[in-house]
Amino acid sequence: MIQRLDWDRIVVPVDLPEVRDEISYQRVVMNSGSTWDYFPGHFDPTYAESQGHPTIFVNTMHLAGFADRIATDWAGPESRVVRRTMRLAGSIYAGDTMVGRGRVVAKRCDTTVDPPRYLLDMQIEVANQRGELCCPVELTLQLPG
Amino acid sequence: MTAPISYRLTFGTYEDALQMVGVATEPRTAGTVVSAARIQMFAATVRDGNSSYWDAEFATSTWGGLLAPPGLLMGWLTPPPWDPTGQPPVSAIALRVPLPGTTFINAANEAEFPLPIVEGDRLTVVEKLVSVSPEKRTRLGVGHFVETLDTFSRQDGAVVATNRNTLFRFTPGAQT
Repeated sequence: MIQRLDWDRIVVPVDLPEVRDEISYQRVVMNSGSTWDYFPGHFDPTYAESQGHPTIFVNTMHLAGFADRIATDWAGPESRVVRRTMRLAGSIYAGDTMVGRGRVVAKRCDTTVDPPRYLLDMQIEVANQRGELCCPVELTLQLPG
Repeated sequence: MTAPISYRLTFGTYEDALQMVGVATEPRTAGTVVSAARIQMFAATVRDGNSSYWDAEFATSTWGGLLAPPGLLMGWLTPPPWDPTGQPPVSAIALRVPLPGTTFINAANEAEFPLPIVEGDRLTVVEKLVSVSPEKRTRLGVGHFVETLDTFSRQDGAVVATNRNTLFRFTPGAQT
């Protein structure tokens, strides 16, 4: 049974459950494998260290995917990400834990299109296990009308 | 020893880089269509159990096919790291901007998805160089911020996504 979120009944703001994800070396290597992004900072610890990093780190697509997962896990699979902005303030390294906290900050009905679009604006902060903010995200979800 | 960089960077001066601002690439079409295998490998990477990526029946009735995870957008036009011609993979336009920096890291990204991208779509991208900043110093080193805009369309010509990206092209620890 697919969970369906009722746009009409959402009262903003809504705080989403915190999501934690331990990023092992395997996960960082899967990141290159699934995105085809073979920048050596994503698979070669020696290269990463030569560039001033402690070890290999996940790429932008992985952080985007984590933010999208936080949004659609909460809103259900009939929702769709239609816009996402993110700032890469710090990196998530192999051995780190990604900690995601999301909040719905606005709901909008876009009547400039037919049929109208039912939208939710969210802010998601991706931090590491030390509480350092690595990636602030603003994301807009479209819900079924 | 470090691994050779599989990404070919173009080197030059800031003035050379400014000459390139406004340039757009010829359309480049992905070598393969959006596939269930890549959708699910990415979903496994980020541990996303969304039925739109895993349940073909649900996804087909909702989106017209398994949905491409929005996070994987840039991956569809990333070429394989090797191909039989022996030529190095085509670098993204951001890496072909002539600048002194020896490496790069992503700084910001803004993506919009006017239409769902689904299994079987064949995507084409046009990449445009929007701006190159004057020299900046960050904790990583000294370099330039390079802003690009990618427009993705599918086989019927409809624009399915745009991707505005800023990366920092820098030399680690370099002093001004």
